[in-house]
Amino acid sequence: MNPFATRSSGYQWIWPTSAMALVLGVMLTMAWITAQTRQSRFSELPTDVRDRLNAASLDFQGEYFKVQQELKSLRESFGELREENTKLQNAVADQTKSSQLLNESLQEVKTFAGLTEVEGPGLMITLRDAKNAPEGLGDYAVIHDIDVLKVVNELWNAGAESISVNDLRVGPHTNFRCVGSVILVDRVQIASPVVIRAIGDPKTLEGALDLPLGVLAEIRQVEPAMVKLERVENMRMPGFAGSTKPKFMKAVPPKG
Amino acid sequence: MIFIPLIALLVGIALGLLFNQPLPGIAGTYLALACVAGLDSVLGGVRSALESKFDSEILVTGFVSNTLIAFGLGYLGDQIGLNLFLASALVLGGRIFTNLSVIRRYGITRLRDARARREMLNQDAAPGPKP
Repeated sequence: MNPFATRSSGYQWIWPTSAMALVLGVMLTMAWITAQTRQSRFSELPTDVRDRLNAASLDFQGEYFKVQQELKSLRESFGELREENTKLQNAVADQTKSSQLLNESLQEVKTFAGLTEVEGPGLMITLRDAKNAPEGLGDYAVIHDIDVLKVVNELWNAGAESISVNDLRVGPHTNFRCVGSVILVDRVQIASPVVIRAIGDPKTLEGALDLPLGVLAEIRQVEPAMVKLERVENMRMPGFAGSTKPKFMKAVPPKG
Repeated sequence: MIFIPLIALLVGIALGLLFNQPLPGIAGTYLALACVAGLDSVLGGVRSALESKFDSEILVTGFVSNTLIAFGLGYLGDQIGLNLFLASALVLGGRIFTNLSVIRRYGITRLRDARARREMLNQDAAPGPKP
């Protein structure tokens, strides 16, 4: 007698199990987090899962990095073109008195809007991630978009006339956002250290940032070395290199 | 033969990719839990087959009800503010581990059986005096 006979079970289980496995396969593809569903799925996921997925999508970030490089070089050429534009405007304006006046006011507006390269005295603020922050402070040890936003806002309030963040000029529409561990300034990636430069009265600007319970107080609590302030006698900053063409708004003609 | 469910799983994934209809939002998350339940059921089916107590009706109803319960529990938990999602994931994950370890043990037993059988046959066939 074969002592192993009782252990063989026949194969009638194969087909039902396979059918269920097939359904399972379809279900799995539907539950998979794809590029399409990523956006809507992410908000519903617990933070630890989200972090792991973010870490896993570094490949995707490689592609993103390429696009970022392209964006940067495009912005550079944009700045050059704008400079060229200013030169041409000046050349045209040389001809008559009235066009000269017109050009003066045009250049004034352009400077105000941050479209031209400018120079002047000011303050340089360097924010960097904490190197040896106390354990468990994780999130606080990193410079966030909101920190940059707060500092920039405080600088405007203290009378800064122009601000740049990592040599990206802050224009009228400039936004600060955060994707994963990088800060985006007008969609251009920057990372720690973040160098914010502001042209204005260095003393006033420094005083505003040093206010007790001010914008930097919280960061300094984590580690004083995260913040560095430096008064600068003269510095240059590039013009805003984003698009200025409106799509929807139109100027209302003056009345009368 | 044991590979047929595996192939079926791959075919299912291929079919799903063909239709390419991933669920967005929270429903996708519940479906993920249902997938874990389905995986548990399929592995349970394989296990019961190895244990010679396979019953196709129990498998099919188990698969359907487990996935629905997992989906429903995930939803219910979010509605009443309890992390039932985690509870289900924990239980189902544990069961998958148990099922897999049982399947592994049966596989090893079969291998050993086959080896022992071969040795017995060899002994029977061997001429001359036995040691």
